Amino acid sequence: MEKQLLKVEALSVSYHDVKTTVDAVRKADFSLEKGSVLGIIGESGSGKTTIAMAIMGLLKKNAAVEGNIYYDDMKINTLSEKEKNSYRWKHIAIVYQNHLDILNPVMSIYDQITEGIRRHRTHSEKEIEKRMKELCRMVKLDEKWLCHYPHQLSGGMRQKVLIAMALCCEPDLLIVDEPTTALDAVTREEIIDLLIQLQKQKKITMLLISHDMYVMKRLSNRVLVMYEGRVLEEGFTKDVLEKPMHTYTRGLLKASLETNPYQDLWGIPGEDIENKEKGCVFYTRCVQSTQYCQSHSPTLQYISLERKVACNRGGIITLLEGKNISKTYSYKNHLTTACKNCHINIRSGEIIALIGQSGSGKTTLATILSGLLKSDTGEVYFEGKAVEGNNFTKIQQGIQIVFQDPFSASNEGFTIEEVIMEPLEILKLGSIEERIMKVKRVLEEVQLPTSQGFLERQCNSLSGGQRQRLAIARSLVMEPKLLIADEISSMLDPSTKANVLRLLKGLQNTRGFAMLYITHDLMLARKIADGVYVMKEGEIIEEGSSSKIFYHPESDYGRELLGREVEKKEIGYQS
Amino acid sequence: MKKIIQRILEFSLVGKIALIVIGFFIVLAIFSSQLSHYPYDLPSGAALQPPSREHWMGTDDLGIDIWAQLCYGARVSIMVGFTTAFLSVAGGGLVGVCAGYYGGKIDGWMMRLTDLMMIIPQLPMMIVLGAFFGPSLKNIIFVLTLFSWTAPARIVRSKVLSIKEEKYILVAKSYGAGFFYMIQKHFLPQTFSLMMVSFIQLISRAIVAEAGLSFLGLGDPTSKSWGLMLNHGMAFRGIYFTDFWKWWILFPLVCILTMVLAVSFVGKEIERKEVSSYGKTTTKG
Repeated sequence: MEKQLLKVEALSVSYHDVKTTVDAVRKADFSLEKGSVLGIIGESGSGKTTIAMAIMGLLKKNAAVEGNIYYDDMKINTLSEKEKNSYRWKHIAIVYQNHLDILNPVMSIYDQITEGIRRHRTHSEKEIEKRMKELCRMVKLDEKWLCHYPHQLSGGMRQKVLIAMALCCEPDLLIVDEPTTALDAVTREEIIDLLIQLQKQKKITMLLISHDMYVMKRLSNRVLVMYEGRVLEEGFTKDVLEKPMHTYTRGLLKASLETNPYQDLWGIPGEDIENKEKGCVFYTRCVQSTQYCQSHSPTLQYISLERKVACNRGGIITLLEGKNISKTYSYKNHLTTACKNCHINIRSGEIIALIGQSGSGKTTLATILSGLLKSDTGEVYFEGKAVEGNNFTKIQQGIQIVFQDPFSASNEGFTIEEVIMEPLEILKLGSIEERIMKVKRVLEEVQLPTSQGFLERQCNSLSGGQRQRLAIARSLVMEPKLLIADEISSMLDPSTKANVLRLLKGLQNTRGFAMLYITHDLMLARKIADGVYVMKEGEIIEEGSSSKIFYHPESDYGRELLGREVEKKEIGYQS
Repeated sequence: MKKIIQRILEFSLVGKIALIVIGFFIVLAIFSSQLSHYPYDLPSGAALQPPSREHWMGTDDLGIDIWAQLCYGARVSIMVGFTTAFLSVAGGGLVGVCAGYYGGKIDGWMMRLTDLMMIIPQLPMMIVLGAFFGPSLKNIIFVLTLFSWTAPARIVRSKVLSIKEEKYILVAKSYGAGFFYMIQKHFLPQTFSLMMVSFIQLISRAIVAEAGLSFLGLGDPTSKSWGLMLNHGMAFRGIYFTDFWKWWILFPLVCILTMVLAVSFVGKEIERKEVSSYGKTTTKG
């Protein structure tokens, strides 16, 4: 194991104003090995830059720093200003975020870069000039720009200047703050390549701060996920980005264009609340929070090797687990195997697509998972408890299933109100007024009218799309944690389909329910799914994240399936 | 109630007339003692009188007023018809729902029983049973019901079977809905119209069957039903050589015919409405 170059223990930073105190960083712990790159991601205001500033010792007077920062086994945050100055820039340097006002507008680039060299190394003009040439070569900046002023340079060049400034004294630790914001794609690639090259050549230890997932993926080995000054997740970048274990991390990834080229972008919903002294900082925005989270703050704990998550529930929970499910139908001594040893895992707040040809056993598997059909072998667990019969479909916050045919899903003779109220009535939940309130709320959610006249209409007066939304509304009235949607869009027209899917995605984002979406429409699956299971003749032949299945299918069938779909698209373009 | 009136107004002219006829007979049955001056079971004049001002429809061989007998007979016939039809539809409907809903073995057993009941030649069996239980109104109703529940049971079962496959039944079950909820909310409203049709059909069937049994002498001799009147009339030796049949036989016969016809017309009317509304509700969307 490499030597720990930087170690941060229980670092807390709070900014004191005249009236208020803002906790910018709360008890952050992390360490950085020599030669590695640690990334810090998080929304703006999550305390990333504050950490950088605390390490640099550049925080203003109104900031109170607690905890310890060790550089090379030396505690640096309690050093005097003079001592700080001696290690700053020489050992630890920072590439500032690229603002125009970071550089002094009345000093030439040359002067600005040489400032550090003059302060820490040498005053010999000759050496300085030699070093400058070296730096320019290193950051690929044309020397002619050195005599220019900052406003004359482009954003990319300024970024290079900032990197050159940071590198001028050959520091061991480089803090890079948002190196690529506001840069165009080509320049961004250039800067990233530059940083990778520098890191490899000079073996610089880097602390990379960014909210750009792509930069993280390219540059960092390990990553910290920060929110409201707390570290919520830590692990190898590849693992964290591929399989986030904290709802916040997943939210960040879903909001990132780099990780979802085909899917809609969804920000993390919800508002911050001011008072977060007790409980989990992410409590109000978390989709799997419990009462416990309100009062108990989680600590960063190992959940697997090299992976830490700060969550009271141990990260994103596995909502539904199907093990070894088999089902055979027999008809007149003719056996049809609908499912064969199927395994399926659905985590909370995830959309899983189950794709495959018709007749591949998708609906059978889904009905077994909901508990409405008995399997021959295998078990299904919902939140760790066995699913038997309707024990999870008849409770709120359980499993709900929406079927393919909207006309069969609701009794024609019922009024709209009766259809949606049916589960509440059967289960005798709430008073009549509460039920009506709930009915109106879910109707609003599925974008149907809530007027009394509409509620009293018979549902045979509705169109297919409306009936489907009605069926969805009936499921939503039970506030499910898992919605099993069986081809719900196949009978809808494109516009209604888009509306219904957006609605479900939106609800998934805000309410955080998980969805098992059964479809044979691959493009649709690519659009909405986080994970994909491919079924063929009753067997799950391939599973994985959406990007893996759609870009690098492993099975022959998967390749064939996708090949066809691509072909179809190409034909579409030609015609 | 509004709905029913609406439905009736949608009837064709024949249907409306048929309804009025039924209404007429019901009024006759209810107010029989007020409508006739004479008792139905005691002689009130000379025997075998032709219709006159005194006796509107004449008298029979015992001098009993035919009009009084008809009025009272309407009560018996309608009671037998409605009660039998109601019991058969209720019982048969229950059997049908149970068989359709539970399926499997229960369905198998119940349907085999229905088949058994259906293949037994009904009239001879009814005669045997009628003779066995002894002639009384209750027994007639019982015997008729015993042979009438199979048709509604079959019809209801087939409807329930088709409804059962609908997803909303599965959904309701997934919420834990019980048998009674299912019947009350899902099966009954949808099978009700079918039951109604079969109810009406059974009324006319029961009226005819009762008349038949009574005609054969298996009716309650102390009560006067239309069939029994016929029985008495036809038993009068050589009645067709006299003019007596013109009132003694014709009036009860016409009553039976009009009542049965009227009931079947109404039945047809309801059926027609049902069939035409099927198409409307399912093709929408």
